[in-house]
Amino acid sequence: MPTINVKRDLLFKSLDKTYSDTEFQNLCFDFGLELDEVTTEKQMVTNEQNLNYSTEISEVIYKIDIPANRYDLLCLEGLAPALLIFLNQIDIPRYTTIFPSVNRQKIIMTEQCVKIRGHIVAAVLRDITFTKDSYNSFIDLQEKLHQNIGRKRSLISIGTHDLDTVQGPFLYDARPPTNIYFKPLNQDKEYTAEGIMNLYNNHAQLKQYLHIIKDSPVYPVVEDSNGVVLSLPPIINGDHSKITLSTKNILIECTATDLTKAKIALDTIVCAFSQYCKIKYTVEMVEIVYPDKQVFHYPDLKYRIEEIDCEKATKYIGIKQTAEEVANLLSRMSLKTSVKDNNKLNIEVPPTRHDVIHTCDIYEDIAIAYGYNKIQKTIPYLSTIAEEFSLNKLSDQLRIELACAGFTEALTFSLCSREDVADKLGQELLNIPAVHISNPKTLEFQIARTTLIPGLLKTLAANKKMPLPHKLFEVSDIILKDDNIEIGARNNRHLCAVYCNTFDGFEIIHGLLDRMLQILEIPWSSNKNKNGYYLRAVDDPTFFPHRCAEILCYGKMIGKMGVLHPDVVSRFELNTPCSILEIDIECFL
Amino acid sequence: MAKQLTEQILDYLNKHEEVNSLHLSEVFKENHQKIIGAIKSLETLDDLITTKQITDKKWELTSEGQHVASYGSHEAAVYNAIPDDGMPQSEIMQSVPFAKVGFSKALQASWIVIDKSSGTPIVKKKVSSITDITQKDLKDLASLTDRLKNEYKKRKLIQEIVIKFVQLGKGPNFTTTIEKQETELTADLLANGAWKDKKFKPYNFDALGATLEVGHLHPLLKVRSEFRKIFLEMGFTEMPTNNFVESSFWNFDALFQPQQHPARDAHDTFFIAEPSRSTNFPMEYMEKVKRVHSEGGYGSLGYRYDWKIEEAQKNVLRTHTTAVSARMLYNLMQQGEFKPVRYFSIDRVFRNETLDATHLAEFHQIEGVVADYNLTLGDLIGTLYEFFKKLGITQLKFKPAYNPYTEPSMEIFCYHEGLKKWIEIGNSGMFRPEMLLPMGLPEDVNVIAWGLSLERPTMIKYGLNNIRDLVGPKVDLEMVYNNPICRLNKTSQNSSQTKKAEDKKQELNKHENKSCTFKCAEKFEKQKLIIFCDPKHPIKFIELFFHHVKNYVNIFVTSYVHSSVQHVPNYLLNFCSECRNEDQANDINLTIIWKEIGIDPIMQLPGMYTITGEINVARYLNRLIENCYPRVLRYESKDALYANEIDNYLEKIHIFLHTNVHHAIHKKSHYVMGEDISIVDILLESLEK
Repeated sequence: MPTINVKRDLLFKSLDKTYSDTEFQNLCFDFGLELDEVTTEKQMVTNEQNLNYSTEISEVIYKIDIPANRYDLLCLEGLAPALLIFLNQIDIPRYTTIFPSVNRQKIIMTEQCVKIRGHIVAAVLRDITFTKDSYNSFIDLQEKLHQNIGRKRSLISIGTHDLDTVQGPFLYDARPPTNIYFKPLNQDKEYTAEGIMNLYNNHAQLKQYLHIIKDSPVYPVVEDSNGVVLSLPPIINGDHSKITLSTKNILIECTATDLTKAKIALDTIVCAFSQYCKIKYTVEMVEIVYPDKQVFHYPDLKYRIEEIDCEKATKYIGIKQTAEEVANLLSRMSLKTSVKDNNKLNIEVPPTRHDVIHTCDIYEDIAIAYGYNKIQKTIPYLSTIAEEFSLNKLSDQLRIELACAGFTEALTFSLCSREDVADKLGQELLNIPAVHISNPKTLEFQIARTTLIPGLLKTLAANKKMPLPHKLFEVSDIILKDDNIEIGARNNRHLCAVYCNTFDGFEIIHGLLDRMLQILEIPWSSNKNKNGYYLRAVDDPTFFPHRCAEILCYGKMIGKMGVLHPDVVSRFELNTPCSILEIDIECFL
Repeated sequence: MAKQLTEQILDYLNKHEEVNSLHLSEVFKENHQKIIGAIKSLETLDDLITTKQITDKKWELTSEGQHVASYGSHEAAVYNAIPDDGMPQSEIMQSVPFAKVGFSKALQASWIVIDKSSGTPIVKKKVSSITDITQKDLKDLASLTDRLKNEYKKRKLIQEIVIKFVQLGKGPNFTTTIEKQETELTADLLANGAWKDKKFKPYNFDALGATLEVGHLHPLLKVRSEFRKIFLEMGFTEMPTNNFVESSFWNFDALFQPQQHPARDAHDTFFIAEPSRSTNFPMEYMEKVKRVHSEGGYGSLGYRYDWKIEEAQKNVLRTHTTAVSARMLYNLMQQGEFKPVRYFSIDRVFRNETLDATHLAEFHQIEGVVADYNLTLGDLIGTLYEFFKKLGITQLKFKPAYNPYTEPSMEIFCYHEGLKKWIEIGNSGMFRPEMLLPMGLPEDVNVIAWGLSLERPTMIKYGLNNIRDLVGPKVDLEMVYNNPICRLNKTSQNSSQTKKAEDKKQELNKHENKSCTFKCAEKFEKQKLIIFCDPKHPIKFIELFFHHVKNYVNIFVTSYVHSSVQHVPNYLLNFCSECRNEDQANDINLTIIWKEIGIDPIMQLPGMYTITGEINVARYLNRLIENCYPRVLRYESKDALYANEIDNYLEKIHIFLHTNVHHAIHKKSHYVMGEDISIVDILLESLEK
């Protein structure tokens, strides 16, 4: 969920009202935002740069969490009008595009650029007036869009330029890095694209974007008719065309691998900042010519009409409202709505609301405007008969019996290190059908456990201070690779118990096995046949020589028990003998 | 033995009316501790004797002092060693014990002079005879003035010791013949009817009963059982969630979660290297999912991007149990016809998140799903109220939220009576048509669902601040042992608050004032302490001690290595790593300086006082805590006998530290001192480490 920082006083000025923190928090809550933190600018500088740099005045900053699909709220210029509309204070603005007959801007795409970053969209904001704050907000919004909808500039990358410093028509090309040469933003000399990549290799922010084009034989580049480089997307703009506080005419270009997202980003920027243009809410279109001579005009700023059935909508939410009332509710969510006959509503979805892709999104807006907490509580009328999942039911019954037998339940992690199930238990990793994790952040999460033993032994190790004996158990899932399963792996419910004392106590763990099988009504097979269960001596490196047995139940091996090998004991940092039992319980279902 | 002793004591008391335990120890030639034990057992008999605890201070010769008392002072020894014509200074230094001290003292007293005229310093007598006042004084300690006592104390010739003993007197029911009282009703006593004539020892109802050896269920799973019951009571069928490994297709794509969604990043999700891919999807359904993502359909614009099957094939550890809900709804429709269902599950999910006090890489998700024709958002809200009512939560609030697979989406907040605030407890919503319609659910079927973690409500309920105290191998089994039964709809006062030292203290003090006259200080006095300690003999108990008291006082420890130390073992670098948070509010500010000084650490207090030896440091720290929180670690606040016994154990530990002769201390029950933990337990535990 993205968080934006807004100066409180500026926000309240835009809202034309001063709120207390709590009042504003409540407003946010109702609208689906969250006032995450109230801080000051001075503190923020300290937090982020870890320096004791301080500004002259310390302004109060609101950190506000914005839902991930509401790009239109990522800056004050979008947030404030949305709240004002929600509060019924202003009308919904109408965004228009103009396409000048002369002096129109044009970007021509080459075959080359399609190979690496195949789309570009653009728009011009004419006669804009920035203040220090709105200028900063303009820069911030681009950064927010890069991070969120742009997936760290991999999907889209935005460049904004002072149109009066460059000369169209523009060219969107891609060339070998050594053939691109310009002065990057805020640098004092010119570099080749290759040099720029080296320059930013250790740059705190920019280095994370280098990989997007680094290994490509050609790098995308936007330049004007005189060969002045505007940008090297998605890395950096040129210094020549950089915008300043006094810039009047802005060219916004957005290169992308995902055209839908590029259009959304462009719409979002121009909708938010066209309010500072001389002719408010008006944006000048740019012509894009694809290599195949197809021509498109951007920004879209498309208004879409959706028709919904009012009764269906109110029934979906569970409220009683007339069509007019619903229309009013929707209008408060920036969705201009008119009532048609037969209870139908015509809803105009504006270019700020790209999150609305289905009628259910409109239903949600009705519910938000109505107020979630005013909706009548009802209980659905369906009759269903409950049923436990048989494996969980059996597990719970066994857990209670194990506790009755005097054992204490542990709850350990499903993930562990390779060492835990292999080396430490004296086993070979190659022989273990384990599920391996490709991106663990620590050694603790290398694989999914294939046995419950390490978890119990670690629990013992962490509780040495408790008086002996230790009697622990866990009934939980292990995970095994299995090619017969659709996913290639399956869970297996195991029961594991350990007895730890100054002596090995094998007979106690054995007694526990007998008890468990007794209550599962499995008889002891004294002549070792398939009519019950019996033990079969086996050698296993986890266990002490000649102190380990396989447990056979109706002829099938269901697990092992034995006295833990002293090497295993010490590898788990224990110093007392342990006997252990581990069986599969799925066979008892 | 003790029985005989008790009778001897009674006889003696009968003859002497009043006597003290020290005296008895001399008379009977018995260890004082044994006498105290016998007196304790006599005390249990009603009004047989009266006792009074007495603490006395006494001056006593040190071993050096004893030497002086018997053989004369060091200065006299020096004087007497000098022949009339004097002798070289170096010779004296070698021939007389304690010559260095004796020499300077003798010089000071002008008994001797040094003659340097011949080149080598020759020492000669200055006076013809001397009186050894020091020896005289030490032979008669009683008549010394305080000034002299301090003087000799400084010279380490005498020391002040604290003696604790008991003054005995006859009680109203005094008698020398104690009838043997039965402690237990036995089968024998019943069989022959002897119980009728026997006298039974009264029970001490103020003591706790014996600790039973029992098994326990894990606290989190007890809460899980309660949640399962609630769902079952409400008619929900349990989903089979025993598949931790899931394909991205079911975990994300089927839920209309776009392939560029940040949750599908390696930063948030565990991807599987082996088995890395799933290829076996229901093809017809997969095509529908692909279409709704890339082109839309079912009334949706879709996300309009290039949907790739490779991305869907990637196996992951499931990030939510909703993957199973998706499979369940799909399977439901595979049976041919829709029927209304209620499903639930509580099982593990995995996130490759940064870990902190409240986040682990795996946790339990609770999920409820209801599918029926024409369900409404109001139905979801009503169902949630019913569900949370069973948890004892009656006030809910819903906040609009965003979730790729639900619309409308609501975050659930509940008002916590104990914490007196609104807390976020879960998420909920109605599944999007883009998720449901490709599965073949009828258009007028709506599905409401909600999810929450099992750990969070459990931590709030039990007042835990760190999730590792609850889940995983580091869990404290003592917490498991003492965990109450789980009654979710009951808000008990002591469970609902997060532990706050202040609250705790108030509660403790209230208790204290009722049961004990021991005066506890209102406020913990801030302490600034320095301990010099040999890295070869680390003062290990400090770590355990601080751990034990950390809920009551804030402790900050820094450590330095003295320049003379060549090598400090690695494990000492993390010494007291629990107490590394510097804070204005630290109650104890301890600096440890590793320096080669031998077995006994030296603690420096403000004003240049020092305390030497591990057990004395322990005693000092114990007093500090006890002064403010007497119940945390009992020592002197109970009574003199109790303290005396602890002192004896401490002595044994001291000897053990110095000689390695085993201390032979045994636990009476839970702890060395019985039911209460004491500094002795902490020291013993540190010795075992």
